[in-house]
Amino acid sequence: MRDKVNDDVTRRNFIKTAASAAAIAALPGVAAAAENSGPSDAVRYGFIGTGTQGCTLLRFLTTIPAGRCLATCDIYPPNLNKGVDTIGSKPDTYEDYRQLLDRKDIDAVLVATPLYLHARMTIEGLEAGKHVFIEKSMFFKEEEAAQIRKVAAAHPKQILQVGLHRRSSVLYQVGMEMVRKGALGKVLLVQSRVTTHSSWRRPVADAKYERLINWRMYREYSGGLMAEMGSHFIDIANWVFESEPVSVIGTGGLDYWKDGREVHDNVHSIFDYKGGGRHHFHCMLFNGHHSNGVMIMGDQGTLDITDDRGIYFREPVAKISSGPAKENWWAGATVSKAASQKGVLIFPEKEAKDSGFVDRELRYAKQWLASMGIYQPEEPFDPYWGELVNFFASIREGKPVVAPLEVGVADAMAVINANRAIDEVQKPSRSKKTT
Amino acid sequence: MPAAVIRYEASHLAMATEFALVAYGDDPQYLSAVGNEVFEEIDRLEAQLSKFNPKSELSVINRTAASGSICVEPKLFALLLKAVNHSESTGGSFDVTTGPLMKAWGFFRGKGRVPTNSEIAQVLRRVGYRHLRLNRADRTIRFDVEGLEIDLGAIGKGYAVDRAVDILRGYGITRALVSSGSSSLYALGTPPGARGWSISLRNPYDSERAANVICLRNCSLSTSGNYEKFFTVGAKTYAHILNPATGKPVEKMLAAIILAPCACDADALSTALYVMGVERSREYLGTHPDLMALFYLPGGKDQRFRRVLLHSARANAIGAFLPRTRDRTTGNRARAS
Repeated sequence: MRDKVNDDVTRRNFIKTAASAAAIAALPGVAAAAENSGPSDAVRYGFIGTGTQGCTLLRFLTTIPAGRCLATCDIYPPNLNKGVDTIGSKPDTYEDYRQLLDRKDIDAVLVATPLYLHARMTIEGLEAGKHVFIEKSMFFKEEEAAQIRKVAAAHPKQILQVGLHRRSSVLYQVGMEMVRKGALGKVLLVQSRVTTHSSWRRPVADAKYERLINWRMYREYSGGLMAEMGSHFIDIANWVFESEPVSVIGTGGLDYWKDGREVHDNVHSIFDYKGGGRHHFHCMLFNGHHSNGVMIMGDQGTLDITDDRGIYFREPVAKISSGPAKENWWAGATVSKAASQKGVLIFPEKEAKDSGFVDRELRYAKQWLASMGIYQPEEPFDPYWGELVNFFASIREGKPVVAPLEVGVADAMAVINANRAIDEVQKPSRSKKTT
Repeated sequence: MPAAVIRYEASHLAMATEFALVAYGDDPQYLSAVGNEVFEEIDRLEAQLSKFNPKSELSVINRTAASGSICVEPKLFALLLKAVNHSESTGGSFDVTTGPLMKAWGFFRGKGRVPTNSEIAQVLRRVGYRHLRLNRADRTIRFDVEGLEIDLGAIGKGYAVDRAVDILRGYGITRALVSSGSSSLYALGTPPGARGWSISLRNPYDSERAANVICLRNCSLSTSGNYEKFFTVGAKTYAHILNPATGKPVEKMLAAIILAPCACDADALSTALYVMGVERSREYLGTHPDLMALFYLPGGKDQRFRRVLLHSARANAIGAFLPRTRDRTTGNRARAS
């Protein structure tokens, strides 16, 4: 389930500077994980589905001592080998995931298989007594929501986490804090997009493996762009509006890559939320000009997060108040301001609640360095790494699950509804010939 | 029961700066709608007066007036007449045609450079308000030299403030303040319960500190200062206000602040009097009523500065309540405040 978004992230080293390493150590959960990481109490896990996305996660897992990989599983031998090679800890290997689930010495499973297998493996994992980390989107068919909920309810002590890794992004967390604290005013629109010029295909050496390797292209297994790309941002919008969409309209088509695939390469959805919030999402595979990102727009500001960089734009709004104010205005030579706002960089670092003088000064220094182009504000760690650390911390220390069951259900249901809206096109208003 | 007092405050980016507006009334919706009208007008003025926008009326004039007469919109024509008037009355210290000089010094591109004397002499040949031919009868303009260029940077923001005030008055607003990037502002009426609008004049060495505080009622104030746009070569600092006579930056002046009945005049005169210096300005104010001028002059070491305040005839009627200056000559307060 690799996608362009993920590619961008994995190319980056998750620890870039000593400064960000220090920032990681400052996070309570991380420090605890590092201290208690003796092999004796590490979470013993198995990994199911070691394709591209699976190996992305495995690469991060190699640096997390809080978990120990005992087994991996994939039905496609080259991928199985790739997984073993990536984790490097000589896990036992399986072609049948049920055999992996049967192992009593395994506490947790991480699942990164094609979408149509998600629900089944989540359910069977929970029933086998394992904690489950399931990649997004959480399930494929509407009816699977109830099935997963039922099994999860029957196994309340087991952790169930969905791989919506932006929930573990400090940049997005800071963005969400801005939303909650009113920095954007009343937020009514989320605009998001994933745009790339890519066939979205993986090379297939033997034609008999086409559907196995390129499962994303076929409707029997895949929710297409909406599931693989849209689910990330659908979740962001759900997070912003603190609810799930009440309805969705959409359109889309296979407009460019007419190579035998069944899923669209150009999709557009508009989700409506209770209270008037809306979310436009679009994704296309024939033009990458707009890159990936999201704009969260309120009546007092915009937060534009593009390719892991957050910029805040203030909306110049009138302030209306009652009664006279103490009027004190300034006069001086013209203060220059560009006609278009440059915006303010958002620092993906959390401030301590009662930050002292040094912290404040450091922050100003960073703002200044960033304005000079010297300092590059970056996430203190990769969100993939963060979500995996969190998964183990939930298991070992009872830390809250960062993307739990209902977050995953809301996300997956919105994906399913969005695809339905596109396929069962409403009655569009067609243009008539006027001559 | 009397209606509640409502205060409306908004800002708007235009003319490469931020316009601010505060207005008092009793209906928030009405005030917001009036605010929209004000800012829309400022946008229209920018679209007409900007030299950076190739389709503005001013750009068209700059491109074509050397090859023939061109008809000008009445209000812009009146503004150009006024600009020429100010040029004549200040002996050319105010001049809307110094754009090529600014360019030679690199002030438009934000990368300052010191041009050679011969370069300056060459540029001065195609600079000068005398080359503007304004024909009132048919409301046309013509340049009598190639390469002439009008730049309204030293009068346009004041003009926009006046137009904003016209709109506010037209909608019955009696208490408001309009500011264009803090350099030109107009105080309409007074805030409720106050004697006037309190204005802090920034310290020429420190944007966070006030050098004086002044109170305004139905009066405008404009500032020209050396501290916002400048560049440094070696030990020398070159500020962006050029003397049209020499083609070089004015020296030994920190700021000139003009109080006048309208912002357009205050804007133009703050530049002119900055260029003219204290003594020539004293003469000017001797023959032009309804003005006050406050100068901040370099005062030796340690960021000290001197203040000089000049009045013209009837200056006490223009609605400015004077700064309580502790020491007008040594500028001690500048350090203490």
